[in-house]
Amino acid sequence: MLVLRLWNYLSGYVIIQIEGLALEEFINICINRNIYLWDIYKKNNTLIEAKVSIKDHRKIIKVAKITGSNIDVIKKIGYPFWFNKIKKRKMLIFGAFFSLILLITMFSFIFDIEVIGNETIPSEKIVKILNDSGLSIGSNRYFINLREIENNLLLNIQELSWVGIEISGVKLKVNVVEKTPAPLKIHKDIPSNIVAKKYGIIEKVIVKNGKAMVSEGDIVSPGDILISGHMEIEDLGISQYLHAYGEVYAKTYYESEKTVDLIKTIKEKTGEKVTRKIIKLGKIEIMLNKTNNPYSTYVIQRESKKPFKCRNIELPVEIITEEIYETIEIKKTADIEKEKEVLHRILIEELLDKIPRNLEILNSYTNFIIKNDKLKCNIIIEVIEDIGEEKIQ
Amino acid sequence: MKNSHEIKRKLAESLELPKDIILDIPKITMIGDIQMNIENHKGIIEYTNNCIRIKIKDGILKIMGKNLLLKIILKDEIVIIGKIQQVEFTL
Repeated sequence: MLVLRLWNYLSGYVIIQIEGLALEEFINICINRNIYLWDIYKKNNTLIEAKVSIKDHRKIIKVAKITGSNIDVIKKIGYPFWFNKIKKRKMLIFGAFFSLILLITMFSFIFDIEVIGNETIPSEKIVKILNDSGLSIGSNRYFINLREIENNLLLNIQELSWVGIEISGVKLKVNVVEKTPAPLKIHKDIPSNIVAKKYGIIEKVIVKNGKAMVSEGDIVSPGDILISGHMEIEDLGISQYLHAYGEVYAKTYYESEKTVDLIKTIKEKTGEKVTRKIIKLGKIEIMLNKTNNPYSTYVIQRESKKPFKCRNIELPVEIITEEIYETIEIKKTADIEKEKEVLHRILIEELLDKIPRNLEILNSYTNFIIKNDKLKCNIIIEVIEDIGEEKIQ
Repeated sequence: MKNSHEIKRKLAESLELPKDIILDIPKITMIGDIQMNIENHKGIIEYTNNCIRIKIKDGILKIMGKNLLLKIILKDEIVIIGKIQQVEFTL
């Protein structure tokens, strides 16, 4: 029973040894006088060991006198005894208390500032503004107003759209979100043209305002005027500049290519190996046993252990076990079909990253060339996209 | 004396009262052969590691075993732990 044992520990008890002839009588008298004995164990004919609480220990001495037995205290167990021992050592209590206070005060200071989420704004700039508004390494966490500093940061850096500051332990985390700049818009009244932003073959032109300069099938290069804002009606002699407005869809091409070697050198382990251990302190590496690398071709396998690791805090101590395997180089011709498949997959993934989303893919052309033991793959994907871009004349 | 005991037994049976209270006899609970709880005892007569003799009403309860230990001993309850091999009632 855990509760009982805990209670016994808190109230304190002693293990006693009772020596005498009438031990059963002793126990009976104890029972009758409501003295609680437990864990009674007979060591030999005239000696028993039992546990009794501090309060009952005094009563038991009287009982011992009646029965003529001797009582020795073997061990004192429990919180009251421990407390008495501690009470005599005042400096120890003071030291413990002092170190606790020291610990609490030390942890109320900020030791590190971390900026997360910034891509274009340098962290130094954010930290500098934080320092100006009274938050720097060494400031106390209980004397700073985080919401005020957040607002200050937002006011000072226009490019930020959201700031969240949180304190975790001694670390200050500044989460920022940058604004994505809105596309440049030209006001309706300002005369403008629509020009091409990339190479393409015109597929469809939808003019809402202005005059189409290209038609289906035309090849355009970047900068070419697609829809002009310049209107001219010769009969009436009117020449006017408008704000051109419309959509121009064109076939554009995304291309990607890659070459791989078909003959591969594979390092195969021969079974011979040498192990060495290294202790890494910070950036310094200390070799524990001096073994030089005896092989000309080899593979090194490194395994590092960090012995002092607690959650995400770790000491810069590392034990590295290095295993150097002797190897033989073997030349092998790769399976062409397999290589083709792998290469194709890699290139397609690469291309799909480049192509903006929501575009209609018309065609894709894949081309493999094998030359001098090298496999070359070329993929072209044809899509339809809006290539128009507003530009002031 | 014997007569009154008989009356009490019959009374307890007819009224379905707990016999150990009415008749003042021990209630013994055993957990396998490792623990034994004896309620309503009259004191301890002999105690060694191999044998415990407990006074009960109208007799003696003798428990034989190995490494017997009096875990708890109170005015009306005794808990014995250890390896119990034999339990014997003697009048």
